[in-house]
Order: sequence, then C-alpha cells, then structure tokens
Amino acid sequence: MVDLVQSKPAAATEPKRSLTSRFSHLALPVFLILLIVISGLVSPAFLSGSNISNMLLQVAPLGIVVIGQAYVIILRGLDLSVSSVMATSAVIATSFSGQNGDVLPILLVAVGIGVATGIVNGLLVTKRSVSPFLATLATMIVLQGFRFAYTQGAPSGNVPPLFRAIGSATWNGIPYNILVLIVLAVVFGLLLARSRFGREVYITGGNPTTARLLGINADRVTIIGYVISGAMAAIAGLVLSGYVGIVDNWVGRGFELDSIVAAVMGGISLSGGRGGIVGGLLGAAVLVVVFNAVLLFGLPVQLQIIIKGVVIVVAAAFYVRRSR
Amino acid sequence: MSTIAYPRLRARVGRNRGVVVVIGLLVVLLVFGAFLSDRFRTPTNLLNIVEQSTGLALVSLGQTLTILTGGIDLSVGSMISLLSTLTSGLIAGNAAMILPVAVGVVLLGMVIGGLNGLLVITLRIHPLIVTLGMGAVLQGVVLLYSLGPAGKVPPGFTFVAYGKLFGIPIGAIVVLVLFALVAGFLRYARLGRYIYAVGDDDEGAKLMGLPRARVILFVYAFSGVCCALTALYLVARFGVGQPYTGLNYTLASITPVVVGGTMLTGGKGGVLGTLLGVYLISLLNNVLNFMDVSTHYQLIAQGLIVIAAVSIYVEKKKRI
Repeated sequence: MVDLVQSKPAAATEPKRSLTSRFSHLALPVFLILLIVISGLVSPAFLSGSNISNMLLQVAPLGIVVIGQAYVIILRGLDLSVSSVMATSAVIATSFSGQNGDVLPILLVAVGIGVATGIVNGLLVTKRSVSPFLATLATMIVLQGFRFAYTQGAPSGNVPPLFRAIGSATWNGIPYNILVLIVLAVVFGLLLARSRFGREVYITGGNPTTARLLGINADRVTIIGYVISGAMAAIAGLVLSGYVGIVDNWVGRGFELDSIVAAVMGGISLSGGRGGIVGGLLGAAVLVVVFNAVLLFGLPVQLQIIIKGVVIVVAAAFYVRRSR
Repeated sequence: MSTIAYPRLRARVGRNRGVVVVIGLLVVLLVFGAFLSDRFRTPTNLLNIVEQSTGLALVSLGQTLTILTGGIDLSVGSMISLLSTLTSGLIAGNAAMILPVAVGVVLLGMVIGGLNGLLVITLRIHPLIVTLGMGAVLQGVVLLYSLGPAGKVPPGFTFVAYGKLFGIPIGAIVVLVLFALVAGFLRYARLGRYIYAVGDDDEGAKLMGLPRARVILFVYAFSGVCCALTALYLVARFGVGQPYTGLNYTLASITPVVVGGTMLTGGKGGVLGTLLGVYLISLLNNVLNFMDVSTHYQLIAQGLIVIAAVSIYVEKKKRI
C-alpha cells in the first residue's frame, strides 16, 4: 500500500508528449521575462533599482497568500477567507502595546486565528461536504463580523517597529519581506513537492476516491491544506500591516481574488491535483509586474482591475485547452 | 396516524424541506419580534421589511437560475454598479430620457449576461472563473466611466421604489409577480425543465440531446436582466447611481438562494425558497435592529445562517 503511494510512475508508461506540451511549462516564465523586457523598453524607470525593489516589496504578501491558496486549490478547493484572515491579523498586530516585546504574542494570536479559520473551513468542506466556495465565504463573513465588533468599526493602535521593518524596510534594496516569502516558499514548496504529505495532497486533489482506496486519510489532508492557507494568510496580514503602517479593517482586501488569479495563471488547476508553488509565485510576480507597468505607463489605474479580469479568464482557458 | 393518513403531504414536505424550515424560522422570528416591540407589529414596519428586500429579491431571482444549472454568477455586483451608474448618468435629470435609458439598461444587462453564458459554453471553464473575471472587467469599466455618483434622476423616478399600489409598495408587487412567473416557467415550460436537467446531470443532458447551450445562455442572460432591474430599483431608491452600489450584492445574492434550499451543485431547489430566504434575511436584520444589535453582529448572524443552512441541506455522499 505504502509502496504504491511512494513509487514514482514508470517512465515507460508516460505517454509521448508533443514538443509544445513539453515546453508549455516554460510559457509563464518566458511571458514574465518578455513582460519585464517590454516594460523596461517602454519605460526606463521600470528597471530602475528603486522600482524593482518596490515590486519585490509588493510581491511578498501576495506570494505568501498564494502558497496557502496553492495547497487548497490543488486539493480541489479554494479559499475566499484569506482576505478576512489578513485583515484580522493586521488588527491583532495593533491591538497590543505596539512595542517589539509583543511581537511573539501577536504572531501566536494571529496565526492561531488563521489556523482556527482553516480548521473550520476544512471541517465544513470534509465532514459536511459543503462546497469550498460557500464554506470559506461563510467563515469570511463571520470573521469580518467579529473583527468589526471587536474594533467597533474604528481600529486604532500602532504596528510594532519590528513589523514595520519587516514589512517595508530594505537591505541594499532587497526588502526584508521578500526573505519571509522565500523562507516560507522553500519550506512549503519542499513539503508539497518532496514529502509524503505533499504526494498525499496531489493524490487527494486528483481523485479523493483513489486517495481513500490507497489508505490516505483524505479528510485530514484536506483540513491540513486549509490550515496551511489560514496560517499563510495570517502571516501575510502581519507583513502587509507592516507595509501599510496604519491599520484599518480592510487590510488585504482583494487578496482572495488576486491570489486565486495568480494561482490559476501559474498553472494550478481549479479541478485539483495539478500545479505547484513555483508556478503560483510566478503568477503572483506577473500580476505585480502588470499592475506596476499600468501605473508607470501613466494608464488609468482602473485598467488594473480590467486586466485582472481578462487575465484570469484567458489563463483558465489556456490551461483547460492544454490539459485536454 | 397522521403520517399514514397524508403520505402525499409527507412526500411534499420531504421534497421541500428547505422551504418548510425557512417558513418555520420566519414564523419564529415574527412571533419573537411581535413580543419584542409594539412598533414591530405595525403594518408600516412589516411593509418596510418587504419593501427593503426588493433589490436583494430581484438579483437573487436571477442567481437562483444560474445556481440551478450548477453554475454561479459572481458578476452581479459589478453589473448592478455599472448599470445603475449608467442609468442616472445617462438620464441626467431629464425626464424624457427615463424610458429609453431604462430599456437600454435592461438590454445591456441581457447582453452582458449573455456574454457570460457564451464564455461559459465556448471556453468550457467554470462559471465561477468566467463571471469572476467579467465582474472585475465591469468594475473597471464603471470606474473608468465615473469615480463617484454620476448624474441624477428626476424626482418622479423615485416612484419605482417608494410608490404604492393599494397600499403595497410597487417593488414588492413586481417581485411577487416575477417570482410567480419564474416559478411557473420552471415548472411547466420546457426550457424550465431543461434547467433542472442540465443542473442535475450535465453529461446526461448532453447525451439526451437537450439544448444545453441554450439553457446556459438563457440563465446568464436572465441573471443580467435581473441585475438591470435591481439597478433601476436602487437608482430610484437612492436618486443616483454610483460605482460601488452593487458591491455587496455579489455574495449577498447567494445567501438567500442557499438558505432557501437550492443546492450549489445544481438541479435541486427553486425560486420559492429563494423568496422566503430573502424575506428571512430582511426580517432577521429588522428584528436585530429592534434589539439594538449593531450591524457588526448582524454580519456574524448572517454568516452563521449560511453555515447552518449549507450544513443542514447537504446530502450524505456515498463514500467508499
């Protein structure tokens, strides 16, 4: 049983793939490079050190959310509650004294809320067979209600200096928050790509029935997936609160959509079982570059939203066609 | 005894469990509200509840049909924002423009909704993604058109929202008539039956040669029309359209559908449950207002209702 799960598929059984499908996983990196080159040609300011540093600063919170979203989407779900978790952890960040001494309790409480949200999401999806869309929508609304009740609509307080530094400071142009992203991406990327648990995630997402027949506790794997997503969103909320500096009830608004767009663009299939962290992060990078280019080119900022909408449909259509 | 005596009634109740549960909750809330406050019991307050639910009822009507096919329309919020801003922006206080603009807005809603349906059919990607993308595009378009409230409508236009016929708000009457028509359509018209067939078993419907494309196109176009009606109502109510009017309707429109017992997986449910779901939410907010509960807790209550509803209705899946 265990061997069946762990053994790699025999090379001989792999169907011959055409040249285009063999290189199609390069489509996104090539697209990203083209995007950067063209943007640099159109507007030289795009490739300036400060602008690149600025883009890295912006990609970190989104990338962290995408890591969690990737797990959930590979498990055939999606997580709409991430933005609510982010805002809640940003509110938590300012609920203590605002000194560095409170960093640990803030981290514990925020991640605790993220984990708890993930557990509720996971239990609803697995034990009650609620569709992931509705389950995470409901927890999003409930969490939002609690947050508003807690802050009475007007949050106040300060973000500890350490979070300010992590969220917005740079070292020789390299933002600290990108280091947080890299560490998390390596840990959870390896967990997904190299560990036994990662394989169970792919099998469960690819076909839950098969997973059960192979002796995998599909429910447990799914719940852990949502827990990872909640925890990532909580950390991203703290990082973003350090970037924004001031606190409001809507830190992270729109990240649920952006993270799903990035994941889908990165080849993580909404029908489950396919894709990886690297693709998702490339998707996040493309989004940030496009948003940045829109601003640098002096185009109306509303175009960002329109491009987002077109990109998600085109990307989804592209991958559907490829998988057929 | 009675269970044996009324087997057909029992079967009906079993089939419409959602509707029965919601009616029960409505009665409980009404009785509770009546004890709570004298002002709750007044006809004015009850008519208020019905009147205030008009917008939600209209958009949820279209949403019900898309969900019955196993799809969903996440573009409704942006569509309402766009259409309401266009309505007041184009009328711009000119009474002569009311009719052409209203007709144009309804047609535009139908076209945008139809485009949703067309993309779902041709691209073969989940409606969730298609309408999410469409919603973002429409939101961008309305913000390009105007960043704030645009134009205004002549005072007479508020009649749509505040006018009364035999003491009953016009919006409420329109809602009741539309829901009755759609209920009849779903039950007796051929296309209405196909909606259930496609939602219940897409592959099977295709194999049977049912016009799947026409069904999908119809439900999304209809949802667009419902958004247009909601937009017209909201403009009449507020006197002006603005680019974020519809923001909350995307997710709000799904709540009454689910609470009313329509399954997100498609093929089960109906518009009666949705209408009762709309009234339930409206009534709940009203009662909570009388209890001086802040809107923050109303949000929590709404989320918990969704969780309760989706966990009650869920069918036990066969598991190996």
